[in-house]
Formats: sequence, structure tokens, C-alpha cells
Amino acid sequence: MLKELVKGLGTTLRYMFKRPVTVQYPEVKRPVRERFRGRHELKRFANGQERCIGCALCAAACPADAILVIPAENDPANPRSPGERYAAVYEINMLRCIFCGYCEDACPTNAIVLEHQYELSFYDRRAAIYTKEMLLVPPDKGHGEPPPILQQLNRQPSPPAKIDL
Amino acid sequence: MPDVTLTIDGVQVTVPAGTNIVDAARQAGIAIPVFCYHPRLKPVGMCRMCLVEVGTPKIDPATRQPVLDAHGQPVIAMMPKLQTACTTPVSPGMVVKTTTEQVKFAQRGILEFLLTSHPLDCPVCDKGGECPLQNLTMGWGPAVSRFDYNDKVHFEKPVKLGDLIYLDRERCILCGRCVRFQDEIADDPVLGFDNRGRNWMIISKSDPPFNSKFSGNTTDICPVGALTSSDFRFKARVWELQSKPVVCTLCPVGCNLTLDMRYDRLMRVMPRENAAVNDIWICDKGRYGHRFIETDRLTTPLVRRDGKLVPVSWDEALEVVADQLTIIRARHGGSALAGLAGPQLSNEDLYLFQKLLRELGSENIDTGIGGPAALPPDEIGGWLAPGPGTDLSKLGAGTVALVVGADPEEEAPLYLLRLRGIAQRGGKLIVAGLRPTKLDRSATKVVRYQPAGELAFVHGLLKAALEAGAKPAALDRVQGWNDLRRALGQTKLEDLAAACGLPVAELETLAKDFLAAEQSLIVYGWEARSAGPALAEALAALMLLSGRAGTANNGIIALLPGGNSRGAIEMGVRPDAGPGYAPRKQRGLDANGIWEAAQAGKVRAIWLAGVDPAAKLPAARAALAAAEFVVVQDLFLTASAELADVVLPAASVAEREGTYTNAERRVQRSRQACAPVGEARPDWQIIAAVAQTLAMVPIGGGRNGPIPVTSEAWEYVVAADVAAEIAAKAPGYAGITYAALAATGTGGNWGRQYDDAIYYDGTSYANSEGVGLVLPALTAKGAALTFTGAVTRFADDRPLLLLEQVLAYDGDRHLRGSKLQGLVPAGHVVISADDAAKLNIHSGDRVRLTSATGELVLPARVVADLPSGIILLPAGLADVEAAAIETGPRTRVSLAKVVMG
Repeated sequence: MLKELVKGLGTTLRYMFKRPVTVQYPEVKRPVRERFRGRHELKRFANGQERCIGCALCAAACPADAILVIPAENDPANPRSPGERYAAVYEINMLRCIFCGYCEDACPTNAIVLEHQYELSFYDRRAAIYTKEMLLVPPDKGHGEPPPILQQLNRQPSPPAKIDL
Repeated sequence: MPDVTLTIDGVQVTVPAGTNIVDAARQAGIAIPVFCYHPRLKPVGMCRMCLVEVGTPKIDPATRQPVLDAHGQPVIAMMPKLQTACTTPVSPGMVVKTTTEQVKFAQRGILEFLLTSHPLDCPVCDKGGECPLQNLTMGWGPAVSRFDYNDKVHFEKPVKLGDLIYLDRERCILCGRCVRFQDEIADDPVLGFDNRGRNWMIISKSDPPFNSKFSGNTTDICPVGALTSSDFRFKARVWELQSKPVVCTLCPVGCNLTLDMRYDRLMRVMPRENAAVNDIWICDKGRYGHRFIETDRLTTPLVRRDGKLVPVSWDEALEVVADQLTIIRARHGGSALAGLAGPQLSNEDLYLFQKLLRELGSENIDTGIGGPAALPPDEIGGWLAPGPGTDLSKLGAGTVALVVGADPEEEAPLYLLRLRGIAQRGGKLIVAGLRPTKLDRSATKVVRYQPAGELAFVHGLLKAALEAGAKPAALDRVQGWNDLRRALGQTKLEDLAAACGLPVAELETLAKDFLAAEQSLIVYGWEARSAGPALAEALAALMLLSGRAGTANNGIIALLPGGNSRGAIEMGVRPDAGPGYAPRKQRGLDANGIWEAAQAGKVRAIWLAGVDPAAKLPAARAALAAAEFVVVQDLFLTASAELADVVLPAASVAEREGTYTNAERRVQRSRQACAPVGEARPDWQIIAAVAQTLAMVPIGGGRNGPIPVTSEAWEYVVAADVAAEIAAKAPGYAGITYAALAATGTGGNWGRQYDDAIYYDGTSYANSEGVGLVLPALTAKGAALTFTGAVTRFADDRPLLLLEQVLAYDGDRHLRGSKLQGLVPAGHVVISADDAAKLNIHSGDRVRLTSATGELVLPARVVADLPSGIILLPAGLADVEAAAIETGPRTRVSLAKVVMG
């Protein structure tokens, strides 16, 4: 009886001198793995144009029906994206999203990328719908790089994105 | 034709001689990939995608017998090179191989070659998802291209081929389907090839560009995304669309449409296959003209308070209507009420409309808006419509189609394709009219009688038919036939021939052809109707003389304005007869009578359902202003609605169910495609709700008796309940229930059956709603048919004959919000070159038309092919106040050039 007690307290004593595994979130944030699938971002080309061409293949691939794309025609004088089409409306319902990454896989221009942001909480359901303005990266952060997994697969952008590059 | 048995990939298949290998393989369930071949077009073998190995039995030159091998089987001599399956007709004993290495090598090669000049911008392309090039590349093509992307041919994209169609030359594979459709089927040869080699491209040769009423069909049959519709450009991806079956209500053809919806928004309109109505085609009015369902719509009921229309709830609005109708009926009797309904409403709406007004004791019911050019309801086209089993797409040799005074391209565009098809398949198409129309080009015989000579022409045909020995037994019970017969007996054929300006022999030949045909059809339109009922009656007599009236493929098709104009007549929305042509004891007022009576204070309440008379008729404006109470139920806040006391928002054709009766008396069912806009309700529901409210009004009817509307008689939950009552009560409509309509087959073998999607994707949609039912012929009871012999009279004797010209793209309020708005011409008057030369008038000059009742100043449009003495006035255009000068359906006018300054 006494022997077991001492053994247990000994374990406690031993752990007092080890480094704690607890992370003091939110003061401290644990780094995520490189291929972690967090909140989506819509990337841009180096010249600032949107990579998204509004093809809605992400919405078609989405198993949770979380994505809404309403396309429109680019103004030829001031195109938002390469080619004739762009996404006038792009919305992801984060409550529906299951973060499977199929949208990333379906995207012919590597526009949508599941990045490392995982702090997604909302006070109401409407707030869970991320609009294009929220998803699109700022123009100065010209992301030309496909995500690592796509780099490994040596994926090339599809022709509409190629034409104007 | 004898059948031919051949072997395709080891499968024995028997097909009619003359079938090509692609179609034969389809029957065996084997898909041969094609791009340029289309079963509705002549094969050309341009794309080379259908290359197959073909062999025929070896024939011994000495004995002319097949050479047999050791097993007694015929020796097959394979052709040294691959053959195009679409241009090779089958022959007995033929052996076709579609999956050999040689064939696969060729198919891969053709696809790789086609893709060398294709931009592969599928994610951007509107065709992506229903693209035969995508499908065939996945099924037959190489996975990778050896061609460097940067070496591909690049064109500026897109090019506008017309207002409605965009061309992307990079995507075009130059199969020529669009060019051939325009040449062969639409008879608008406005597309062509330009340049050669890598700069080979499709161009429009017409001015204005792509001047065709059928241009939208080229986007359907284009096997790539080269031709796309400006209406659907980047609106949605095709896999997101839900296809809802509706019936087009813009003209009396009743084309089967598919409204492709994304959620509740209309994305595009596509044809729905129905071989007996529109095959796989629709006209541009149907395809582009449905934007009205989401443009300028009324969303709440409005009631006039302090001179202004203010939004109210349905209950309030219905109460106002019921109270006012009750009060006016109590004070002035049922005959102080009147109602006009539009010809685009469904049978259910129209039936309930007349039911309610007649229950309230009013016979003042009519279709349309009246006006000087209004004609009595057309009964001939109903009594003598083609019988059950009619299918114009099957008619060919042995058929005589007589078209009198009609312009099908403008009045009912799809009839142009169908009548042209009869001529192409070997039938006789006789086109008679005062002026040239596009159908003339397809006709086997064009008859151009003198101005106002049409009655003499048809009487001449009748006289010739009687002289040729036709037995008028079927006419004996027709009232008025004896008068017509006596009149014919007193004239000589020579006199009639002289009166219409045709040789006697020609009349005799035409009459003989008509009587001798296996099937005979008569089509007449506005120009014929404007001559007065006597012309249609003479045509009816001719039809009855043939002895085949009312049987399948024999009968009269009357082209009336509006999608359900035949339904309106058959539902009894007319002053003189109830549903099913049953005459009423007491005749009510027609539209013009209502306008007069309202101004005289005899009609005090007017109910307008889907009509806008105030936009066109000064008399109607005065009448609506004079009336005590005006209810308007409509889609939009029209000019008439602005004058109303209560405005009720109605649901459009896309937002409700209903059945529609087309010009051939085919009843078809239309489905609901989306939720009604705002608080709009289907017309039948509005009428039923008014009736229910009327039944609950507490006050009695005074000396005019209590209101006979009972709540039990007006309990309709769904549109099918109304249809069931129509089937029970309207003579001729027995058995026309929704269940019966749904069970009428799929409308053809096109659709998306088995492997067809691989190569005919995006062209048409399978018909899930049935092909509709043709009502049984009414001719068995021919006694009710009455010939009045009435002809259009003129107020005075001015030199020129003014005809209203019906245009497909006119001031129709249903065109609002559509791309067709740009194609609606400005108000003008069409003058023949001869008359213009006499008065020194050039196109664009302003001219003054003067008739007995008034004058009208409009720009002139001088055309070369109009006979002199005739003036055409497109009365449907918004800025043409035709009522100012018209004295009747036809008017005599004088013309003068307006000199400025």
C-alpha cells in the first residue's frame, strides 16, 4: 500500500522536472504541419490578377456543397483574372466545409489553397459564410507559388491561366 | 424501303436501306464518335472522326455471286482505307469494324489534330460539361498532346456573330454544323466559311449579322464551345442547372422548353424534344424571350387609395374586389361586369375566368384587347384541326400543304421549319399570299394573287374541286354552305381566275393536287384572317371536300396571336360560346363592345387578366377611366394596371403549372420551374380566391338576386383539380388529365439515352413530361359549323390597302429584359418600291397615312419585293398607334410624303 503511494508520487515528482507538453493557447500557437488543411485562401498571380477564373469546378468537387461560385465576364480593358471569366461571387460556408481539400485538387489554376489558419469560430451562421473579399489574399502578397503538395505532383496551371502569363 | 442486314463489331443489325453506318451502329448500341455528323442534317464527312473499317462480300465477277470460304461463309473484302461511317450507306452483308487498332489510331490522330488548334480553356468555356469534344477526347483521344501549347493558333476572342451569338474562333473545329443548319433547316443561309488553312473560320454573311430567327439552335448543335449564347454567357456551369419542363406561351406552336434553373434563377432556355411539335429546335423568341419572368415584376397586390396605388395584403385586395363586384352587380346587374383575358394564360386560368364571370351573370367575356382590327373568334381552326396522331415531322411525299395568307416565320416561327420539312421530304408546299414571305423559298409552288384576290382564289379552288367531282357530303350539315354553293354555281371559274389573276388551269391543277393527296393540310394566318371569316370558311369547305378533315395529319391550322389562343377559344373566353364551342343563349359584348358600353356607363366593372389594352387603344383608355371599378391581374405594372383600382400580381408561366392548347389542338402540360416572385399567385388561384371571397360577402344581391358563387364549387387545391373539372365539363376535353398527359411518351429517340450523350451532348433534353394529347376531332358533329360569308368591308375607297404585319419581335411586353429588345424595330410603315417611286419616297422619309378615321405619320421603309398597292403596318410595335387609322382588319388608306419645314 505504502509502496504504491510512493511509486505514484515518484512519477509525479519525475514529471515536475520535465518540459510541459501543454501549449498556452491562445498566447502560444502550435505550428501546424506543412500539409495541414486550414481555412481557404484565394491566391493571386505575381502580377496581382486573381488566379480564380470562376470555373466552379471547386463547387462541383465539394462533397459538402459548401462553395458557391457565380461567374461573370471580365472587362477586357481591366480584367480581374486571365481569360474571359472571373468569379463575381465566391463564397464558402465554413460550417459546411469538411476541409477535405477536394476543391484544391479540382482547381485548374491553383487558385484555392487550404492554408494554415484554423481559428474559425462564429457567433452566428451568416458569419460562417466567407465571401470572396475575405478569402482573397491582398494584391501586394502576390502568391505565385502552388502549395507544396501540388508542387510535389508537378501540377501545371491550365491553359486559361497560361494564356495571359 | 427494303431492310439491309449488316454486321457491326460482330453484332448483326437490320436497318432500312439508305441508313448510314453511324445510325445503324446506334441501333446496335455501338457508338461511333462523330463531330460534323448530325442526324437532322445531311452528312458531309468533314471531321473524319467517324472513320471505320468497312468490308463488303467479295463478288465473283463471272457468276455475280458472293465468293464463299471453306466454311461456307462469304469472303469479306475489306476496303483498303478507312471509310467515314456517316457518309457510307449500309449494304447487304457489309462488315464494319469500329474498334480495331487501325481505327483507334485514326481516331486518336484526328482528335490530337483537332486539339492542336483548340485552346483547351474548358474551365472558362460555357460548353464545358456538355461538350462533345470533351467527351470524345476522354473516350477516344490521346491523354497528352505532342503539340507545343504556344504554337497553337490564336484568335481574338470572342467575335460577335450577331446580337445573340458569340463566336470563339479558337475553339471552332470547323465541322460546319451551324452552316448546314442555317442552310438546310432554318433556310437562312447567313453563315459561311471564310479564308482557308489555319485562318479558316466561320463568318456571318448577312446584314444585320446572323439575321435568323433560329440562330440559337446553332449553339445547341455546336459540338464545341465555339458558338455560345450571349444570353447564357458565363452565367453558370451546366452541371449546376436543374432542367424544368415548361411550354412556350409566346406563339401558338407551343414548343416544349426546358428552363435551366440554378436555384430559383433562370439561366437559359433550351428546347425539349418533341417530334410532333418542335423536334429538337426552338426559335430565338422562345430561347431569349423568357427574361420577362424576372424583369419588372409586380410583387404585391396594389389597391388605389387617395388616387395612388399602394401595396396591401392579399386578403385586403381580395376583399376590395369582392365587395366592389358585389355592389356593382347588386346595383346594375351581372351585365355591368366584363372581363378580358390574354391568350398566354393557361387553360385552367381561362376556364375559371369565364366560369366566375358567367356565374356572376355576365356574358361580356373576350380574349385579347379588341380594337378596329379585332376579328370574331376563329372557329374553323378548332373544328377542322388535324386529328389525333398528327405528326408533321413524318409528312412528306403524298402530302399537300396549302399555306394561305400566313407569314409563319413571324407568326409562329417553328411552323416554318416544319412546313419546310414537309417540302424537303417530298411533299407539296403551296404558299399563297398577297406578298412574299420567307416560306416562299421552301415552297414547291408559290401563288401570288392580286391584292384582295384571295377570296376569289379560294373560291376558284372550291369551284374547280366541285367541277372535278368532289362530293360535298360532309358539308351538307354546315349552315351557310348552300348559300356559298349557290354563289359558286352562279360564277364561272374563268371569272374567279380573272379576279385573282391566275390562269384557270393553275386553279384546276391545285384543286386536283389537293384532293388527290394522301394527306392535306391548310395553314392560314393573319393576312388571310384579315380578309374576313369568309376566307377561312371557304378553306374549311375545301378541307371538308377532301373528305379527310379531322383525321390524322389532315386539317386546318390557324395561326392566331398568343400562345394559348386556341385554348382561350375552347375554354369559352368569348362572348358567344362557352367551353368547347357550346353556344350561349345570350350573346355578351366583345372587347370593342365592352369599351363602348363602359364609356356609355353600361359596363361598370372591368376585369383584365393578362391583357394591356390601354397601351394600344385610346378607346380602352377612355373606357378604363370611365369604369367604376377596374381589376388588373398581370405580371407587370402595365399602362392598364396604372388605371386600375386593384392590381393583383400574377405568376408567370415559369412559376406555375398549367396546360396549354396549341394551334393543332395539342394539349401540353407545363410545370412549375421556380417559386413565384414576391407574393404573386397563379392566375387560376387568384380567380378562385376572388370567388371564395365573393361567396363569403355578407350582403345580398338586391333585386339582382343573391350571388350564386358558392364556396364548394370553387375549392381547387392544385391546378390538376381545375384540369379535372375541364375534362369533365368542357366538351372535347374528356380524358385530358395531368396523369394522362404525363403518360404520353418521351417525344422521340433523341434525349440523353444510353451513349448518345457522348456525341450529341448539349443539344436537347429528354422529354419527361410527355408529348401532349391531340384533342379528338370535332368534325363528326359538323352541324355546329356555320358559314357567315362575312368579308372585311372598307369605310371608303382610298387607293392603297393597309395590312397589319405581325412581327415576332414586336412590342410584346414579354420581350422585356431580353436580348431581343435590340432587334425590335422602331415604328415604321412598309411601302412597295413601285408606290414609293411614284411618290418619290425613300426609306427613312416620313409619310402620312390617311384613312377614313384618321391619320398617322411614320418613317417609311421601302422594300422591293412587296406588290404595289399594299402597305404593311407593324401594328404590334409600341410606337405605332394603328387604332388611329384602322377602320377594320384591313384599311384603305392614302399615302403622302411629309415634307419638313
